[in-house]
Amino acid sequence: MILAATVHAESISPADDVIERFRRGDMDALDVILPQYRVRLYRFLLRMVQEPAVAEDLFQQTWVRVIEKISSYNARYRFDSWLFSIARNLAIDHLRRKRGVSMNARDDWGDTPAERIAVSGPDPLEEVLDLERGSILAAALAELPAIHREVLTLRFEEEMKLEQIAEVAGVPLSTVKSRLRRALESLRSRVAAQLL
Amino acid sequence: MSDHEAIHNMLPLAAAGALGRAEISRVERHLAACSGCRRELEVLRLYSRGLGELPQPAVPAGLLQRTRARLIQERATAADHRRQGLVLGLLTVFSWSIGGVFWLLVRAVTGGVWEVLGTNLADAATWSLVSALLMWTTAGAAAVMLGKRGEFMRRVL
Repeated sequence: MILAATVHAESISPADDVIERFRRGDMDALDVILPQYRVRLYRFLLRMVQEPAVAEDLFQQTWVRVIEKISSYNARYRFDSWLFSIARNLAIDHLRRKRGVSMNARDDWGDTPAERIAVSGPDPLEEVLDLERGSILAAALAELPAIHREVLTLRFEEEMKLEQIAEVAGVPLSTVKSRLRRALESLRSRVAAQLL
Repeated sequence: MSDHEAIHNMLPLAAAGALGRAEISRVERHLAACSGCRRELEVLRLYSRGLGELPQPAVPAGLLQRTRARLIQERATAADHRRQGLVLGLLTVFSWSIGGVFWLLVRAVTGGVWEVLGTNLADAATWSLVSALLMWTTAGAAAVMLGKRGEFMRRVL
């Protein structure tokens, strides 16, 4: 099957009983949960705000919020989604304060589908060779608007399902699909621009 | 929109593994006959793979220790606020009780009339008003003092 390789692995989450213990106020459970999200949460925040010191501060703030709100956490939802939505909101608040722009503002990429089809991209082989240099891709990712960085990071680094990304971002599934499509295409055009 | 355009629009989602079974079948049928879309999907999947294998940022050393320290500090601050609230609540109840007891004593001693500047202080409404004024002034002063003490302790510790 041509698309068989698109199946992704599930994200690793803390055991339900640990989350439940934490929800009931057992702070020792935090010693189990915190290390599990050390890399994932920090990486997500860093991709969002792109400043290590700010990412660390937001990492800490996220856990402060988690402790404040854990009693209201609904176990029907995945803990990952809840945690990342808290982190995401803090990152957005930071970006808004810093830049004074809306997270939902469209970027300058506005071609119609027909125009995009008409544009001939770089040679695939050339792209293969250059994409192996992950730094080019990382640099292009960093240039994308925050909502695109968010959806790409959650999908490809955190391996979240689209439904989960919708929960984190607090938007409908259709919006996630549209953002993901635009983000990938925008990333591609930016990589191509860097290679020119 | 032509079928080709519609499928072309679905290719990024196909590369991201974000299509349903029916959509996958539709895309696969189109790909079998369209080399352009096949090549496009190949490239997009390259990007998808690349995004999953980006250079990983280094997590700062001691991040968890600093986070734990901050959580302990925040919890201590929150507990301090709760304690201060409780103390203020108890003081309020205590002061109202004292005020009530004194009012009964004053009424018993004065026979219900204690004129000061033409106002009967032993009257229930007047007594309540004066008590409330005294209580809130005291509570405000206590709150300011507690706040200053907390600030001082934070600075010293």
